[in-house]
Amino acid sequence: MKNSIQILAAVALLSIASCSDDDDVTIINEEELITTVELELTNQADATNVALFKSVDSDGDGPNAPVITITGAVNANATYDGTVRFLNESIAPSENITEEVIEEADEHEVFYISTLSDVSIAKIDVDSNGNPLGVQTTFQTGAIGTGVLNVVLRHEPTKPNDNTLSGAGGESDVEVAFTFEVE
Amino acid sequence: MFTKQLVAMALFISFCYTNAQDCDLVLKGKIVDFHDSQPLELAQIYVVQLQKTYTSTGDGSYLIPDLCPGIYELSVSHFDCEIKKVSIEIVANKTLNIALEHHVNDLEQVKVIADVHDNHASTQSSTRINKETIQTYSGATLGDALSTVAGVSSLKTGNSVVKPIVHGLYGSRVAIVNDGLRQQDQEWGIEHAPNIDVNTASSIQVIKGASALRYGGDAIGGTILIEPSRIISKDTLNGHVILQGQTNGRGGTATTTVNNYRQSGWYQQATLTYKKLGDYDAPNYVLSNTGSETAAANLALGFKKFEYGASLKYSFYNTEIGILRASHIGNASDLVRSINSGEPTVINDFTHDIDVPKQEVAHHGIQLNAYKRFTGLGKLSLDYSFQFNNRKEFDIRRGDNAGRASLDIDLQTQNVSLYGLIDRFEKTTYEVGINYMNQVNSPDSSTGVRRLIPDYNANKAGAFASVTHLPSENWILDAGLRYDYYKIDADKFYLQSRWEDLGYDQQFPEFEVNEQGNQILTNPQFDYNLFAFTAGAKYLFDDHYDLAINLSTANRAPNPSELFSDGLHHALATIELGRLDLKKEQSFKINTTLHGNVGKLDFEINPYINLINDYVQLVPTGLETTTRGAFPVYQYEQIDARLYGIDASATYDFWIKKRSTEMNTTSNELVYNAVKLISFNTNFSYIHGTDSNSDVPLIDMPPAQWQNQLTWHDALVKNLDFKLSNQLVFQQNRFPDNNYEVSIPNDQGELITSTVDISSTPDSYNLWNAGLSYAFAKANTKINLTVNNLFNTKYRNYLNRQRFYADDVGRDIQLQILYNF
Repeated sequence: MKNSIQILAAVALLSIASCSDDDDVTIINEEELITTVELELTNQADATNVALFKSVDSDGDGPNAPVITITGAVNANATYDGTVRFLNESIAPSENITEEVIEEADEHEVFYISTLSDVSIAKIDVDSNGNPLGVQTTFQTGAIGTGVLNVVLRHEPTKPNDNTLSGAGGESDVEVAFTFEVE
Repeated sequence: MFTKQLVAMALFISFCYTNAQDCDLVLKGKIVDFHDSQPLELAQIYVVQLQKTYTSTGDGSYLIPDLCPGIYELSVSHFDCEIKKVSIEIVANKTLNIALEHHVNDLEQVKVIADVHDNHASTQSSTRINKETIQTYSGATLGDALSTVAGVSSLKTGNSVVKPIVHGLYGSRVAIVNDGLRQQDQEWGIEHAPNIDVNTASSIQVIKGASALRYGGDAIGGTILIEPSRIISKDTLNGHVILQGQTNGRGGTATTTVNNYRQSGWYQQATLTYKKLGDYDAPNYVLSNTGSETAAANLALGFKKFEYGASLKYSFYNTEIGILRASHIGNASDLVRSINSGEPTVINDFTHDIDVPKQEVAHHGIQLNAYKRFTGLGKLSLDYSFQFNNRKEFDIRRGDNAGRASLDIDLQTQNVSLYGLIDRFEKTTYEVGINYMNQVNSPDSSTGVRRLIPDYNANKAGAFASVTHLPSENWILDAGLRYDYYKIDADKFYLQSRWEDLGYDQQFPEFEVNEQGNQILTNPQFDYNLFAFTAGAKYLFDDHYDLAINLSTANRAPNPSELFSDGLHHALATIELGRLDLKKEQSFKINTTLHGNVGKLDFEINPYINLINDYVQLVPTGLETTTRGAFPVYQYEQIDARLYGIDASATYDFWIKKRSTEMNTTSNELVYNAVKLISFNTNFSYIHGTDSNSDVPLIDMPPAQWQNQLTWHDALVKNLDFKLSNQLVFQQNRFPDNNYEVSIPNDQGELITSTVDISSTPDSYNLWNAGLSYAFAKANTKINLTVNNLFNTKYRNYLNRQRFYADDVGRDIQLQILYNF
């Protein structure tokens, strides 16, 4: 009996020794992190009139707040083609997460909510079920004014929905507010 | 024949003197071996109501003098035999011969366990959950079974992740010891339930303080000892099968235990359990993705003699638990939406499938034990154990990462301990022990999500000594001392911005290894000297009362989560940050236990106070904005905490008298047997926890609770019991205000400043349960029909982490079939 216990003990110890892990610690870069949101508006009537709304949070969940930069001007009473891009710039080369959003279009939707009632925003792309996706948009501006434009990416929202944040549900993957000035 | 004459005499006497009220009655008789009727010397007869033990003489005879008329419970034991419990009514002098079954063969088992308020030979406040109660929880979790004890509540995530809270403390402040093995299963996490199959337990003892020094000194909340069934030394095969099905979750549990014992000392034990449940139902909707599947196995092989023995045990526990879909949120806006809507944001049709978010946990334990008894000295026991715990957590992910775990941690723990018991002295028992633990934590680096807990290597070496002294029949004194040295060496990547924001680049430059991109590799190393001390005294009054006071002081080192947490918490939309400069916690706890057994009433009152210096808790420190939106930031901080409370429990039994002939029992040839008609059990617990520096209430303190249970024994027909119980949980009115304000876009695009109410506590609720239980085939087979939440009451539980998203579970009808062989 003593022998068998010794054998069992040896087996147990061996099995333990073989599982121990002395590997060097490898860095993990957040793969799904969205550091950057870019909304590019191009005037349909004037391709040189491009406005870029950009929010960059290079440390993700870290303490630094996103840095927002807005270049170019949005003119009144004009029609713009809108394209949104979601990037992970914490890794090199950076990853374009918009591609994943488009691949899984039925599980995603981008919402644009503006306080300027004169601005109407239409989503022109659809998912495999024919429901709006919102990566490609058309912005129709009205009178001059300044307001807030919220860009929200929802993962697994209710689709179709009433195009409101409260009606869509799902999880917010991006929620950025830009100052939106129509000149 | 002689017995019959005595019975006749006793009958005669009892008829003549039924009205005698003087306390001068005598109970006497002989204790004999069941098999060969040999008289047993030194058998112990413990009289529950007197709390006194009498001993049989050389010819097996015993005598208990000076009895008042009344009902007495005797618990009779002999070092070779199983304990036998006898209830009798004494109205006159009586002779009672008792036969004991002669096959238990271990001195340690000769503890007279007469009621739940054991351990009688210790000053600590402890409560035992017996096998019968555990078996009724065959389809539930360990945490559910534990919450039957006054002073123990549960911290839940849904209904499948249940962590015990002892006197307001949980996680690494509560030690769970499974068959002598301190469970190491990443218990630092709030959503991490103990990876133990409740069906392996034969009894569970809850010690409400840090006084169980053998298993570590850092359990400042309490220690839960899970004990397997006793080993018996005779050729026998026994066990049980329990099948349980339930309507809520539309599933059930099957479990079986088989024990094979040999006279030679060899034994084998096996417990196998499988459980499968689908989505639970709240009263008004399906709780989508709350199903679970669990498989567990426990195998033991051993050799046990009185003088020496050894055993090898293997335990395996594997579970997959769905986490309520609606509780996985992206940011504070989602949380506000969920709180305001009062309903889960995702409700799907019922399914048995488990989707993300979910947990998959596997736990393996190997245990080797050997002991030797030394004549005239005591016992020496050597233990080695290895535990492997793997936890995977799956979130809702996109692209190639869908279906990949977001967290995948391997935790390996090895333990060696040497334990000595010196029991040669009549009045004093000594215990000493040393142990060493090594722990390696290795998170998988291929998850694509930064590690929640870093790689670390921890070592702990400790020693303890304790003494129990019985100076007289009325006094029990005990004291103990423990020291542990604990060292943790971690390798952790911080975001550089976080490392600097927390000031660690100034405070801990020596930990920095190198910079990689926007992250920095660090090598934090800490060591702690941990002391624990306990002392207590118990006085047994002659008139059925005993009073115990126990003081314990203990240190706990901060756990890996408190030191290293770093990142977003998906269920609460908070960023949680550890703190590297945490000191050890120091607790001072005084437990007082008054226990009385007066006639039909048995009660216990346990007030306590626990002062904890440098108590580690999460406190809100601000708000951080990310691309996902805004999140409140919580960081671990140390405060001085003051906890006090009271547990009270009582059992009142209504008895009736029945002639033994009516009961078809012949064993003791009693004139009358006392038979329980109705039992009423009640327990109440209240706890008050405060940050004594700021006078702010502590978070997550269990609200006051009052549970009652009425059992009608042999209702209408013999062996049919009817049970009715309720659980009244009051609203917790003492909570810290951690609400925060955040700007959230409304449907018109305006940023509205909203208060996120994560602090308010749910209303009080009262749940009713009813059940029938019927035993047949010589009580070997039992059927239990139970309805939990009888009135389908809608409620939310303050201690359920999913209370922000959904109501708790509704009515559940359970059918359980139990067969003992």
